[in-house]
Amino acid sequence: MRYLVGFGNYTACDDSVGLRIVEYIAEHGLEQGFRALDLSTNSLNLVSYLRPDTEAILIVDSARMGMAPGEVRFFTPEQVESRKAPERLSTHEGDVLKVLELARELGYPMPPIVFMGIEPERVTSEIGLSKALVERLPAYAAAAIARLRDL
Amino acid sequence: MTKDLTINVHHLTRVEGHGNIVVNVRSGAIEKCEWQVPEAPRFFEAMVRGRHYTEVARITSRICGICSVGHTLASLKATESALGIRISEQTRRLRELLKHAENFDSHVLHVYFLAAPDLLGAPSVFPLVATHGEVVARALRLKRLAHEWGSLIGGRTTHPTTAVPGGFAKLPTAKQLDELKQRLLAAVPDLAATLDTIVALAPKVPAFDRPTEYVALSADADYALYDGLVQSVLPDGRKERYPVASYRSVTNEHVVPASTAKFTRHKLDSYAVGALARFNNNYDTLHPEAKKAAARLGLKPICTNPYMNTVAQVVEIVHSAHDGLRLIDELLAEGIRDEGLAAPTKFASGAGAVEVPRGILFHEYAYDQDGMCLGGNCVIPTNQNHANIQHDFEKLVPELVAAEKGEKEVELSLEMLVRAYDPCVSCSTHYLDVTFVR
Repeated sequence: MRYLVGFGNYTACDDSVGLRIVEYIAEHGLEQGFRALDLSTNSLNLVSYLRPDTEAILIVDSARMGMAPGEVRFFTPEQVESRKAPERLSTHEGDVLKVLELARELGYPMPPIVFMGIEPERVTSEIGLSKALVERLPAYAAAAIARLRDL
Repeated sequence: MTKDLTINVHHLTRVEGHGNIVVNVRSGAIEKCEWQVPEAPRFFEAMVRGRHYTEVARITSRICGICSVGHTLASLKATESALGIRISEQTRRLRELLKHAENFDSHVLHVYFLAAPDLLGAPSVFPLVATHGEVVARALRLKRLAHEWGSLIGGRTTHPTTAVPGGFAKLPTAKQLDELKQRLLAAVPDLAATLDTIVALAPKVPAFDRPTEYVALSADADYALYDGLVQSVLPDGRKERYPVASYRSVTNEHVVPASTAKFTRHKLDSYAVGALARFNNNYDTLHPEAKKAAARLGLKPICTNPYMNTVAQVVEIVHSAHDGLRLIDELLAEGIRDEGLAAPTKFASGAGAVEVPRGILFHEYAYDQDGMCLGGNCVIPTNQNHANIQHDFEKLVPELVAAEKGEKEVELSLEMLVRAYDPCVSCSTHYLDVTFVR
């Protein structure tokens, strides 16, 4: 099975972009040949999908990358270093990069994993996406699905 | 005697959301000693106004990324109370099973990932992979079980989709329930090992006592995570029960200068909710295996050491696993039946309560004749603990100063105290923050 996994806080504006993409895929019947999962802020739950029969995982999340708001970059866990402090690991402040590091150290199967990072315009207490991101939602969903199929 | 202490912990780590600890001691005199909560209110009560009753639980589940099952169930119960919806026995059992999954999940997270590093002298769980690899591996196994347990019953663990007003939109099959049963049985050795680990660490739990009032749901027949009356137990053992509908007479929310979150009080200046409050109120209805676990851990009601809340969570992990097995057996014995959703019989107002991992949670709504929400009120457990944390600080800091503890020791003691309450100040943000290295 292939998984498209969205992480984020639904009530924190652009932090929710991964969840909105999963929602868009479900609403438009685009979930074909893979499962789209909303794991919200529970990054530790990703370990449930690190299984020998998992073919690939695409993680869709907002990411501070120093790019213009709304811009996208695909990257592997090995291509980046997290700037988050490790002691802040909790369910709400989960750092999926650190969860993957933990799982790898403990010997969990590691299927091909790619991140689709989307630069947020604002991460504030607000339901909905900023204009820069909301207009691109269909394009984000299409790009995510295409990349997952290529993995 | 310690003359001066300046502690300013901004954004305490390994708790959910933002909370600050500020202590100033000058020449042995305590000038300031505060648990501050600077989070902005998020106004979910306003968001549900004008929404149809079928949408409300879906919206309020987003209040919390950990207790989203609890928010869903409290919301459904309040809506069903307001609309006169009577759920079936099968729905009640499935909701209880879902509630167990959430409490199990959250407690595993807190005990292993947020509290254990303190007891093992590590800054986070990551260094423990090298020194206590099997413990971390077990933690992830239990976390995975909890996630898959919740996903089976709720559609997904976080922000469940299957639990709706009047019943379930999708039911697990008997085969799936039997598989879950086998997985829970297979986890029993991990539960025993968890107990061994915490028994070994228990001597490191700080000794501190402050008698207070404990509030939890309570029932005669079970441990009352899903349903019951509101019960308070006072330090002298006196217990009183109140209907959920009169929850405001218990919570008495009020505003204090040091916090943007409301504080609460009932019979005393503050009260506590959470695993220890449930244990102190409902010890008699714990599963026998959980009582055995409590005995091994040296936990007896009424325990007035707030640091023991983490230990009470371990007892509840055992309870949820074994009571979950009981519920699965009952569901399988009755057979899973396709049932329609129970319909509204009136449109009025109502309140609902459940026990989420961090304590008793109240929701209340009013609906018009079209089933549209006129207004709501949510009182979350962490808010109910803020005043108690503050009063603990006020007793603990003078004790630590008198014992001539240094700044770092006092800071760690206070951080551990707050973490023991497992506060969930608000859903923080999650975004990745990365630097490209290749």
